[in-house]
Amino acid sequence: MPRLGRFARELRARLWKPSVEEEVRRELDYHLEMLEQDLIAHGLDPATARAEARTKFGDADRFGEACRDIGERRDREMRRSEWFAEFRYDVRYSLRQLRASPRFTVVAVLTLALGLGAVTTIFGIANTVLLRALPFADPDRLVTASETTPVGRPFSVSEPNYLDWRRRVRRLSVIGAFSGRSPTIRGDAGPERLVGVAATHSLFSVLGVSPALGRTFAAEEDVPGGDTRVAVISDALWQRRFGGDPGVTTQSVELDGVLHRIIGVMPPGFDFPNRVDVWVPLAPSARYHRGDRRLDVVARLAPGATREQADAELAGVARQLSTEYPADNRGWGSRVQLLREAYVTPQLRARLVTLLATVGVLLVMACVNVASLLIARAGTREREMAVRAALGAGRGRIVRQLLAEGLVLSFIGAVVGVAIAAVAIPIVRDIGSTAIPRLDEMALDWGVLVFALGACLTTGLVFGLAPALHLRPPHGTNGTSGLGVLRSGARTIDASRVRHILVVTSVGLAMLLLVCAGLVGGSFVKLMRVDLGFSHDHVLAASIALPPRRSPTDSTPGRYAPERIAAFYAEIAQRLMDVPGVRAAGAINIAPFSGGNTSMGFEPVGQTAARADEYRSASWRVVTPAYFTALGTALARGRVFEDRDRSPTPDVMVINETMARVGWPKSDPLGQQVKLSSGRTMTVVGIVRDTRHVFVDSLPLPTMYFSHGQFPWANMWLTVRATGDPAAIADAVRREVAALDASVAVARVQPLTQLVRDATAEPRLIVLVFAIFASAALVLATIGLYGVVSYTVSRRSREIGVRLALGAPPRGIVSAVLGEGVRLAAIGVALGGAAAYGATGALRAILFETEPTDVATFAAIAGILMVVAAVASLAPARRASQVDPMVALRSE
Amino acid sequence: MTEPTELLHGTLDALILKTLAWGPRHGYAIAQWIESTSADALRIEQGSLYPALYRLERKGWIEAEWALSDTKRQVKVYRLTDAGRERLAIETKQWARFAEGVARILLEPT
Repeated sequence: MPRLGRFARELRARLWKPSVEEEVRRELDYHLEMLEQDLIAHGLDPATARAEARTKFGDADRFGEACRDIGERRDREMRRSEWFAEFRYDVRYSLRQLRASPRFTVVAVLTLALGLGAVTTIFGIANTVLLRALPFADPDRLVTASETTPVGRPFSVSEPNYLDWRRRVRRLSVIGAFSGRSPTIRGDAGPERLVGVAATHSLFSVLGVSPALGRTFAAEEDVPGGDTRVAVISDALWQRRFGGDPGVTTQSVELDGVLHRIIGVMPPGFDFPNRVDVWVPLAPSARYHRGDRRLDVVARLAPGATREQADAELAGVARQLSTEYPADNRGWGSRVQLLREAYVTPQLRARLVTLLATVGVLLVMACVNVASLLIARAGTREREMAVRAALGAGRGRIVRQLLAEGLVLSFIGAVVGVAIAAVAIPIVRDIGSTAIPRLDEMALDWGVLVFALGACLTTGLVFGLAPALHLRPPHGTNGTSGLGVLRSGARTIDASRVRHILVVTSVGLAMLLLVCAGLVGGSFVKLMRVDLGFSHDHVLAASIALPPRRSPTDSTPGRYAPERIAAFYAEIAQRLMDVPGVRAAGAINIAPFSGGNTSMGFEPVGQTAARADEYRSASWRVVTPAYFTALGTALARGRVFEDRDRSPTPDVMVINETMARVGWPKSDPLGQQVKLSSGRTMTVVGIVRDTRHVFVDSLPLPTMYFSHGQFPWANMWLTVRATGDPAAIADAVRREVAALDASVAVARVQPLTQLVRDATAEPRLIVLVFAIFASAALVLATIGLYGVVSYTVSRRSREIGVRLALGAPPRGIVSAVLGEGVRLAAIGVALGGAAAYGATGALRAILFETEPTDVATFAAIAGILMVVAAVASLAPARRASQVDPMVALRSE
Repeated sequence: MTEPTELLHGTLDALILKTLAWGPRHGYAIAQWIESTSADALRIEQGSLYPALYRLERKGWIEAEWALSDTKRQVKVYRLTDAGRERLAIETKQWARFAEGVARILLEPT
């Protein structure tokens, strides 16, 4: 038998290959027959020979079964390894193709990397903030409960109301309450202000988290008069202050001069509500003032109960309480919300979803562009395809080859894209983590990588398939056969129409993205220019917490009686004024944008009508006389506080213009009396300009200012105006405070500008991202347009050559080519503009004082895109006019 | 000469490889060759040859192709691959070591 070469054998195997079933049957039958014939030749009669052959052979059915088994497995492996071999071949071939046209490759890879990098980064944000479950047990069953003011705004809860809720509500299985504290810890390293929380013992069981070490509060440690001097500390504080000592639960810690036994350490990663160092018992009292609302409440829904049911039940309880205690509760209601929504406000959710949608558009744009580049290239490769088809490559095989090219391209794009995301993610985290909860945990983790890979596969398939679908079958409708193509170079692929559609799509999407970016950017500029009502340049802010006396008889050393608190802040202001470089030294209980707000109901005395819907509330602040000077808040009328406004002189207040409008729409508030919901009555002595101090992007709140001398608040922010750099006086502030009381810690020392910047971190992040998207979109649109126009020129070079040879002026050629690009762009701009007009309504949630259909923005973006289109078409147009007729005519 | 010996487990593979080392042949010829060369001292169920052949083919030690027999029938002809040749060398060496060891014990005078 002639020895066949490997390839000849493979060829034959492909030509004739029986099924495994057939293969085994034939082989065994042949053997049996031969055996039988041999035996007959040895002289056996046919019947005996047949029986003898069966004996010698053994159980044919069993052997056949075994062979079929192995044979089928063999064939499966072969098919698989063939598939892999072909795939490897396709990949190698694709890489060769990409190397052969480096310009195309670089543009396509960068385009994809841009899209995939952006989408990966934004997914990283959404994944961290929106999708990841809260780190508590069964977090979807956690809710927050709040009181609502007579005008329906959510508000904190008072201790007696909380205790009544806890007794009466059934649909919440466990209810916990907490309230912020800022205790100062004393130690060798000097005083340090901690972030503390006074919490009920039930808080930990609501959240379903157990301590890593020791225990949490017992019920008897959480009642008035109980042994409340215990503390649970965070893992971070344990590491920082106690070096991770496991014996810490036998130690005590001095908080505001009082020794607390450390009873437990929470596990790392546990944090509630926000960056807390230490938890102490709240011990809520039913005898506490019912109108003083300071608690936040979290609860776990009872098994089977829904948020709506719990909300309805609690509303019923709140109604009972308002009839039982009309003095403090009349008109007050309640609200139950999912805890998740306390972390991610609907506004933040809207912003992130908008970003995701936008980045999706960008990725589609990248796909469209690469698809159009690939189709343009497919046009030049139609000969290659025809050759492959003629050599017997099936349509499926060619499609697989094209898909492999798409996947190779998108994989390279994804690698570069992930690299971009790896650079972008830390930047985003640093900018946004002060404003967006939990963003500080964002990282390029497995979830994000898997997402990037998925996005890469999808995009690869999408734009890889585009040219594949575009392939005409060899015997196409236009009647040219595969061989015809080989001979004549006739086109099997008429791609121009498809490419035009792709370019129009690309420009349209760019228009959409740029309009969105323009609107967001414009509103950001407005936001940055908004008049805050005070000047934060040159102002240093620093937070001070004096430990107050708990009762008039409290004689714990180091604690401050009300007179001493007032004296301390008056004294520190005096001392700071003597520091060189200080122009004014004031203080306020909550510095602008330092987080949180305090508000209270008020009634102008002497005005009739006190219906519930006329409930009026205003933010309140306690300030020292120099506060307004230090922040440059202008006095409108009357006077600001003076040193004489101290107890026991009659209470006075300064209000802002908004409060004056709300409280005295028809009369002059100066000299009028105001009754506060806390029971005190004060006289209005001055009106100051409005300031925005809680939100940059909403109107100024009605605000009333109390004099620190009459309202000696223990925890204050110093606001010190310097002549130069405010950071330069930070040490002086620390020194003067220490000189007055070395046990008092100064915390959060920073320029006020920093607080304002942090307050605008979220809009700034959004604008930054939009700006990046917009530039990317502009680049992509330009590349797309340029690519298509120059490709068209190269396809038409023969026609252009003929025209030039026949005497057409080059100027006419330029304007014809230019015209085509500009015409395509104009269609794209019109369609994209229409889409944007319909879609930008979704941006309303993130716009500030900007209409989503702002005509100026639309016009400007349309103008920019048209200019870019003209520039992108100009270069190929000029090239067309320089075509040498002779070269062009010979080229095909 | 007594009863033919049962084949030791695993030796069939080696025997097939050895048979094919003399040149390509089909299943029946392999069976014939083993029986005649061992002078009928080894007894195998001829059918058990086939699962072994399929196994060896899957491992890549032999390969098969369809050819026409003298009687003009399509038969599957097996031939040794390079990998199979190496395998045969290994098996031969292992067998020799095994046989030598067994012989040393059995032939020890008692």
